[in-house]
Amino acid sequence: MLHCENTSGNLAGDMTVWERQRARMKWQEEHGYFSAFDAVFSSSSQDSFVLPADSGCALGEVVAQARARPGSMNKPSVHGFDESSSISRTFSCPPALVEPRPTGSSIEKESSKKRKPEKLHNAKFVTENDTKDKRIKLGADDEQSKITGSPNSNANTDSNKRETCADTSNSKQNSKASEIQNQKPDYIHVRARRGQATDSHSLAERVRREKISERMKYLQDLVPGCNKITGKAGMLDEIINYVQSLQRQVEFLSMKLAAVNPRLDLSIDDLFEKEVFPCAANFPNIGMSSDLTNSGYVQFNSPQEMVSYGGLDTVINPPYMGLKRTISAHLSSVPETYLHSSSFTQLLPSSAWEGDFQNVFNLDFDQVRATSFPSHLSSGLVEAGNHLKMEM
Amino acid sequence: MRNINTVKQEFLKKWIWGLRKYRSQKKNMSLLERKKAIKLSADLAMASTRNKTTRWSKALIANASKNSNNKVLTEHVLGSSPPVRKSSTNYSHSRRIRSCRKSLRRNRAVHIPKDRVVASFIARKLVQKRTRRLKSLLPGGEFMDDVSLVEETLDYVQSLRAQVEVMRCLVTASELMILNPS
Repeated sequence: MLHCENTSGNLAGDMTVWERQRARMKWQEEHGYFSAFDAVFSSSSQDSFVLPADSGCALGEVVAQARARPGSMNKPSVHGFDESSSISRTFSCPPALVEPRPTGSSIEKESSKKRKPEKLHNAKFVTENDTKDKRIKLGADDEQSKITGSPNSNANTDSNKRETCADTSNSKQNSKASEIQNQKPDYIHVRARRGQATDSHSLAERVRREKISERMKYLQDLVPGCNKITGKAGMLDEIINYVQSLQRQVEFLSMKLAAVNPRLDLSIDDLFEKEVFPCAANFPNIGMSSDLTNSGYVQFNSPQEMVSYGGLDTVINPPYMGLKRTISAHLSSVPETYLHSSSFTQLLPSSAWEGDFQNVFNLDFDQVRATSFPSHLSSGLVEAGNHLKMEM
Repeated sequence: MRNINTVKQEFLKKWIWGLRKYRSQKKNMSLLERKKAIKLSADLAMASTRNKTTRWSKALIANASKNSNNKVLTEHVLGSSPPVRKSSTNYSHSRRIRSCRKSLRRNRAVHIPKDRVVASFIARKLVQKRTRRLKSLLPGGEFMDDVSLVEETLDYVQSLRAQVEVMRCLVTASELMILNPS
């Protein structure tokens, strides 16, 4: 077909005008269309989308002119091909681009996602056309240089002059607009590495993925036993297990509370009143033998529970502390005289514990007391109390 | 990151308060009723410590207030009427995006070798399955997208941990109280 075109160009005199116009049209199309595409991909504001419309209009004009000329054409086949392609291109200049876009970011994202397949399709189409265009254009350039002698004469032809000016200004506008678009501060501060896609959709997708992986890292720190696992599926497994176990613990604890309090009167006030108990001052010094600590720890804290205490802070706030104090008060209500004669010596507070040991084991006590008291210590305490009564 | 101790304090206060309200409504309850009441009030208290800032707390409150029996308690614990959720729009929105993404993936998969396609397909399926499970675990999780799901899970796990610790302490304390009432 190129061949045909060339020969036809050689044959017909008035063909040159047509050729020139078409060549210019193609040039315009290439520039206008691609800058428009750039604008679409790089922009997020509304004004840039006027530009594609402009270029589309210009294309339409040119096509209309091209249509007006078929009488002077000797080669209807060439003309037909060209016309159809140009028309299809003008149509392929997507109406979606011209339509006003909302500025809301979320909707923007969505719409860009929705339009992506269209764009891809268009882009493919354009590249296809583009290769053809280039070939044809080469031919046309040859044509022009042959006939007019210099390519600059193209700009001097009377009827085309105004349009070319308009075209160049248009393309300049486009490029300016795209420059402005580039200068505008982006909301997404992501830089594509080599070989990565740079269109807005994959950038947004990458941002989303990075966000997720960052949060997952935090979760990894929070969820015990999750540090060694790589891979999202395994991590999710761990997280699911942990959440489930916590939920079950809540169930279990509420059941236990219900069983313990037959009238549902959690006498928290009573517990708080115990704060004034004289021994409360001794609170952090409640001693347990290291043996018991260890055994209790091992015995009562299943790995899960143990790690669930990992994040326990040593700073204690009033009501929370109140609870602990009441525990301590109960513990230390057993008189010290009994300490040395019974087998509970190790369990109960002693002044010897004020030393370094206490500091070392303080955290452990805090952790252990919650779990290991009920069965071990409290029964022991009851026994101790009975003994005490008998002695008295 | 919020201070865990202030959270615990707040939770305990609200919980006890809610329980007292509950007790004043009903006198003689069975064990299961009591358990339910305790659980509900604990959950509500936990949600109200994160009131209106996270989605899981909103969903928890909304679920609790669905049951007419619990409505009074909910209002008592929160001190105000529970917020109305608008989930339907959210859901359709995320669904549409997902379907678009799928079609895109299909487009892209043409250029990748077949083995890798299969492997990544399996991996994606695994992750999707687990994500769905996690969504079912989280209150209101069905309506979250991936990013917010991970965020909410973070927050929820923290709150659950605080709740468990406080409850455990209370259980211990009340057991001790019963064992030697002095």
